[in-house]
Amino acid sequence: MNIVACFKIVPDDSLIKIVGDKLDLNVPPKISTYDKNAIEEAIRIKEKYGGKAIGVTAGNTDRKSIREALAMGLDEVIAINMKEQDVMTTAEAIAEAISPIKPDIVLAGESTTDSSGSVFPSYLASLLGYPVITYAKSITIESNKVRVERNLTSFNEVVEANLPVVISVVGEINTPRIPTVRQIMESAKKPVKTIDYNKQPKIKIARITPYVTTRKKIIIEGKMEEAVEKLLSYLKQEGVL
Amino acid sequence: MRKVVIYSEDVDSIKTAVSYFSNENTIAISDKEVHFTDELYLIDDIKEDFIANYIVSLNPEIVVTGSTKRDKTVAGIVAGLMKVPIIPDVIEISGNIAKRVVYSGMGIAEIEFSYPIVLTVSKKPVEVKEKATKVIKVQTKEEKIKRIEIKTKGGGGVDLTSAQIIVSVGRGIGSKENIKYAEELANALGAALGGSRPVTAELGWLPEDRQIGLSGVKVKPKLYIALGISGQPQHIAGIKDSKIIVAVNTDKNAPIVENADYIIVGDAIEFCKVMTEKVKKK
Repeated sequence: MNIVACFKIVPDDSLIKIVGDKLDLNVPPKISTYDKNAIEEAIRIKEKYGGKAIGVTAGNTDRKSIREALAMGLDEVIAINMKEQDVMTTAEAIAEAISPIKPDIVLAGESTTDSSGSVFPSYLASLLGYPVITYAKSITIESNKVRVERNLTSFNEVVEANLPVVISVVGEINTPRIPTVRQIMESAKKPVKTIDYNKQPKIKIARITPYVTTRKKIIIEGKMEEAVEKLLSYLKQEGVL
Repeated sequence: MRKVVIYSEDVDSIKTAVSYFSNENTIAISDKEVHFTDELYLIDDIKEDFIANYIVSLNPEIVVTGSTKRDKTVAGIVAGLMKVPIIPDVIEISGNIAKRVVYSGMGIAEIEFSYPIVLTVSKKPVEVKEKATKVIKVQTKEEKIKRIEIKTKGGGGVDLTSAQIIVSVGRGIGSKENIKYAEELANALGAALGGSRPVTAELGWLPEDRQIGLSGVKVKPKLYIALGISGQPQHIAGIKDSKIIVAVNTDKNAPIVENADYIIVGDAIEFCKVMTEKVKKK
């Protein structure tokens, strides 16, 4: 079984700061939160059913993040360098890179922390000619079939499809493992194939401005009785109670 | 006139989409009989792959969907089949610029686009006039994805998106048993009860449909009371449009403090007890 895990390397969203009228994105990169769940699930499927777990990333190809993905247990990573990217060009680049592998299962996180669109997995599925199952909270495989429970917020839906298939996973599907020192050492030997992809997206980000809501940040300390009294009078002034 | 195909399982999202393209030739696809477009293809079920193929067969220049999980799945399939760009979660369109929230709610990107395009729009309150819509019934068929079962979650059908007051709990509430204190406060205030990702999706202290944040629901109440929520960017992204945010936290340095109007430094359960008592008295 060939399993592909798509992951994106993004600026760490807990470190992004607003500086003046700009966002300071010059912060350490990380593997996008739910993409780690996709990597973990790919490794678990491989451990259970055999085969190869291959990672693919597009955009920023930070070596340290790729090493982390390999240390978790991926066998190899295809790293696609893209200076500019949108959902379409990212899906095109990844489809082109993984088609020759003929993957049985392609996994991706439900959304990334940078653009959070959630539409990439379905776009990729269309380009590969695969069906797509989104928001998976559990995956079971029986011979050439996959059974998936989807978290659709107000209800869950259980579906089945034949392989090959693209699946996007939600955070609660698993807890991503933390690699051991030994795994980190060994990851240096694993292959990373680097590709450059330079297609200009048809849409263009004209600008990004900080999304600020100014908050009052009034700290109320002291005894709870008094604190709540104070809060209630503030809330009345605000006209929200 | 451009041919605009609009699809959503949510009526307000269809209205929002129509409001952006009211001068074009609009075709809606929905499982609800709505009369806001020139034509409506009334479907009997939501099968994402069937709907996506159906949209593509109409040969549209613009496709607009809502932003529910299934809406977005349809939009992604359609854009991939049409091989055109896609812009998800659009909050505003003016001319050929679409705005959307990026970086876990910290930035707003303005994106220039041309046609053909696929957009998914975030619903907002809009007034849209009813039309003499031509209704065509469409029977959906199962394609590659086979539905086995629907599991309801018993969340009690609480609509967090339209709640005026929300009491929301995080890991700092301590245990599943302690949720009842937040619930009592919510009842006293006539508020809806929600929670952070850890409390809903991970620990199961509250049903998953109560999850507030980037991957749950985005809320915009008059008053949002965050109990023991540290304030990860993914959570803040979902509460940014609240009018007033109150945070109760033992840690004065938690990120939620930077994103709140009033902060009570202290124990969330004690706060619930005292606040419930005082609200009831008034």
